Amino acid sequence: MKKIAVCYKWVLSDTDIRVDEKTRSLNMEKCKYQVNEYDRNGLECGVQIKKASGRELVGITLGKDTASSAKDALSRGLDSVFYLDDAALADIDKIGAAKALAGMIKKVGDVDVVICSEASSDDFAQQTGPRIAALLGWPSVSYATKVEVNGDSFTLERKLDDGIECVSVAAPLVITISPEVGEAPIPGVKDILGAKKKPANALAIGDTGLSADALKPASAIVSVLAPETSRKRQRMNPDGVSLDQAAAALVKELSQAGIL
Amino acid sequence: MRDIWIVAENPAWAATLVSAAKSLDADCAITAFVKGDEAAAKDAVTYGAASAFALPLPAAGLWEDYAPTLAEKAKTDKPAFILVSASRRGRDLAARTAALLEAPCFSDAAQLALSGNAFSCGTSVFGGTAVRTSSTSAPVVIVTLGAKSYEPAAADASRSGAVATLPYSAGAAKVTERKPRVKQSVNLPEAAKVVGVGRGFSEEKDIAAARELAAAIGAEVGCSRPIAEFFKWMPEECYIGISGQILKPQLYVAVGISGQAQHTFGVRDAKVIVSINKDEECLMHQNADYYIVGTWQDAIPAIVKAAKG
Repeated sequence: MKKIAVCYKWVLSDTDIRVDEKTRSLNMEKCKYQVNEYDRNGLECGVQIKKASGRELVGITLGKDTASSAKDALSRGLDSVFYLDDAALADIDKIGAAKALAGMIKKVGDVDVVICSEASSDDFAQQTGPRIAALLGWPSVSYATKVEVNGDSFTLERKLDDGIECVSVAAPLVITISPEVGEAPIPGVKDILGAKKKPANALAIGDTGLSADALKPASAIVSVLAPETSRKRQRMNPDGVSLDQAAAALVKELSQAGIL
Repeated sequence: MRDIWIVAENPAWAATLVSAAKSLDADCAITAFVKGDEAAAKDAVTYGAASAFALPLPAAGLWEDYAPTLAEKAKTDKPAFILVSASRRGRDLAARTAALLEAPCFSDAAQLALSGNAFSCGTSVFGGTAVRTSSTSAPVVIVTLGAKSYEPAAADASRSGAVATLPYSAGAAKVTERKPRVKQSVNLPEAAKVVGVGRGFSEEKDIAAARELAAAIGAEVGCSRPIAEFFKWMPEECYIGISGQILKPQLYVAVGISGQAQHTFGVRDAKVIVSINKDEECLMHQNADYYIVGTWQDAIPAIVKAAKG
């Protein structure tokens, strides 16, 4: 049976980031890993293609702590997960990630549909899908907002800056979806319990046909700092201040700044 | 003298990319690749490109399928940088070309700098909470840049350079139809003040409250992506974010907006940001100058009252 591979990223949730006011560095201690929100739409798109075409649906991920991602991902409709969890991948860049994902897709075998989502919530680089397509030598259809499948034939709509482009293409292909392709349902209790019974397969770097050296980043991270022109972040209604008082103080601040 | 390539969705973007290229190396030789006909490519020459190629939109093919041709040409010509417009087609083409060249690609970058052969730039991460500065000495570096990232280069009609059309090899994907975007009568980019509506609004009729706030402070109303794309409560031209409108207003008031990366990017250059959200911990508050923790139902009437003095 042919397979759909949905790539997902196991990202740190950005809601619990704290910024150190003095050093502008980020404190990520309270941040938890989660399936990248955009990829949840990608997983749901995979579920729909599976339903319409009878393919098997596998999830693919790599990076730090991805072994612990399997249960969450499997609760979102996947038949199985393949993960590459290796400390050597901690600082992998976009070149390496796409090469390793392409290698994993080949290792899984029989994949003729790859789904990525538009971006990850942490980097928002919007590169992985098109990069994988180029490496596999498959057609790339990005910013897809509608995906219809009939056997091996795909009819898609993609939303571009100047309008909609309707595309017709046969598998194999890489689809990079935009979130509006369809909202992802929140997994129910049955989905979460069912996930425990599904296979989560560990792959090693060697399985990708690449060496750890070949996945070393081509760029170095110099710093990750909150912007210097950081916002004032002044709460107008701390304890004891009513909304009316807060609103009056806000309007006064904006008037004094010449904005209102 | 470095060779720098620019790949632009349109001639106006080419003018911006010419400025970016010259900021990296004032003496660089620029080769421009512009979507459109040879007249569009010629425009890039007037902005300062030494030569230019037209990349016409194929009638039945994806424009991004120029990527393999560009990558092959780059292997021969060895440009030091390929600066690409951060339009949707541009981003796809940049990523594919980067993969074919095994090159780093920095998306929507800022603070481009060159010291010797070491290139560095900043990219926004975690919803604009931080800027990641990266450096690389890779032989070819690809960067995508926003339409307003640099002051556009001025046209000089006396400049001349070779103009040709780049050959196109069709890929397997076929374009069967193109539906142009219907322009709405909203002009968010020109508005000095903007109120943004987010998922804190659970019904379409509630947007009336945001309009009331906007009227009280003389603002236009925009929204986050789900409001336009999922719920279709507002026209697409109203959604603010990395793939929608990128604004530079004097004042942005985010109401019921959590502050995800793709939204915050669209207002990061606002002079003052105000956030109203009941979730004290939301990212939008962290990216705001002033914030009120509360529901829009409570906060909007209070601000309207205060604004009317």
